[in-house]
Amino acid sequence: MKPIDPRVHQALDREIAREGLPPELALQVARLEAAAAVLGTAVSQWAGGSVEARVMAAIRRPAPSRMWRLARWLAAPHSVTLRIRPAWSLALAAAVALVTLLPAGDETPSVGEQEGIAQFVARFPGANSVHVAGSFNDWRSGTIPLRDADHDGVWRAAVVLPAGAYEYMFVVDGERWVPDHLADRTVEDDFGRENSVVIVRPAAR
Amino acid sequence: MEVRGDPSDADVVARVLSGDHEAFGLLIRRYEAGLLRFATRMLGDRDVAADAVAESFIRAYRHLASCREPARLRTWLYRIVANRCKSYLARRRMADVPLDDAPPVADPTDNEAALERAEQLGLVERALARLASEKREAFLLKHVEGLSYQEMAAVTGERIPTLKMRVHRAREALLQALEEQA
Repeated sequence: MKPIDPRVHQALDREIAREGLPPELALQVARLEAAAAVLGTAVSQWAGGSVEARVMAAIRRPAPSRMWRLARWLAAPHSVTLRIRPAWSLALAAAVALVTLLPAGDETPSVGEQEGIAQFVARFPGANSVHVAGSFNDWRSGTIPLRDADHDGVWRAAVVLPAGAYEYMFVVDGERWVPDHLADRTVEDDFGRENSVVIVRPAAR
Repeated sequence: MEVRGDPSDADVVARVLSGDHEAFGLLIRRYEAGLLRFATRMLGDRDVAADAVAESFIRAYRHLASCREPARLRTWLYRIVANRCKSYLARRRMADVPLDDAPPVADPTDNEAALERAEQLGLVERALARLASEKREAFLLKHVEGLSYQEMAAVTGERIPTLKMRVHRAREALLQALEEQA
C-alpha cells in the first residue's frame, strides 16, 4: 500500500488549509472527500418494510406473563407427563395449531413454484377473533384472520407464502398473543419469548 | 440527530424507561437513516444491514436502562450496530458478499444524473469493500458518519491513536483502490 503525503491527512483532519497544497495532493484530498460524500448518501428503505415498523411491532408485543411461562412449561413434553398435568393446563394446551403443507388443488389458492401453503389450525373456544402474526407479515396482528365457520372453537386459515422459515404467534381477540405449543420448532426472540416456527416448502417439488 | 425544540435523547430515554414505550419510535426515526447507511456500507448488503439495525434497536430497547449516558445515545447505538456488523462479518467473510457483482441501484426517477450517482456509488462501494473491516469501519465512522475520534473510541472500544492510524491506513487503501479503478 502506497503511503500518502502527511499533508493530505492534515488537510482531511482540518489541521492545515487545503488551499496551500500542491495540485496533486489537493486532488487526493478532493477524491477522498468525494468518496465520503457519495457514501454519505441516504440508503433507500428496505424492501421488507421500515426498520421502525419492525422494531415497534416487536416492542408492542406483550412480554410473556407468568401464566404464559407456566403454560409453556406445562406444555413442554419434558416437564410434565399427560397423566399428572392439571386440567387447566390441558385447556391451555388445547390451543392446538398444526402447520402443514397442502398440495395445490382446486380448492386451494394458486401457488407459484417457489411458494407453499401454510395451514394454521388452532383451538380457541369462546374467542371472538383469532389472527396469525409473524415474520411473514411484519408481526401485524390484524392482517391474517383465522375463521371458525362452524363455531366449534377450531379456527383455520390457509396462507400462501414464499418458501422459507417463518416465526409466528396467534393473536386471540386482538390482544392475547399465544404461541403454537405444538409447532415442530420454536425459537427464542430478542425479548426472551418463544416464537413458533413454520417451514414452508415449495409446493412444486 | 436532535433538532432544536425536539426532546433530547436523555428526555426520550427517560420517557421510555418510565413506561412510554411508543417514545422509542422517536429515537428510531432520529438515528435510523445514519445507522442503516453505516451498516449497509459495512456489510455491503442493504437487506442484511436492515436486519442488523432492527436487531440492534431491539437490543438497545431491551437494555435501555443500562445506557449509562443517555445524552450519548448516538454513540451507544453506533456501538451496538458496529458490534452487530462485526458478528455478521465474522460469520461471513466480506469476500462472500457479492458486492462487486451488485449492480448500482439508481433512483426511481431513473434520470441521467441518478444513474451517474449510482455508478459513482458502485465504484466507491467496490473500492470500500476491498478494505479490511476495521479500516472500513474507521473510514465510515470518521468521514461518513462524522464522529469525532473520542466518539469513535466509545463506539469501537479502541484507543484514539489506534483509530487515527486506522483512518490513515484506510485513506491510503481507499485512494489506491479508487486510483486502480479509475
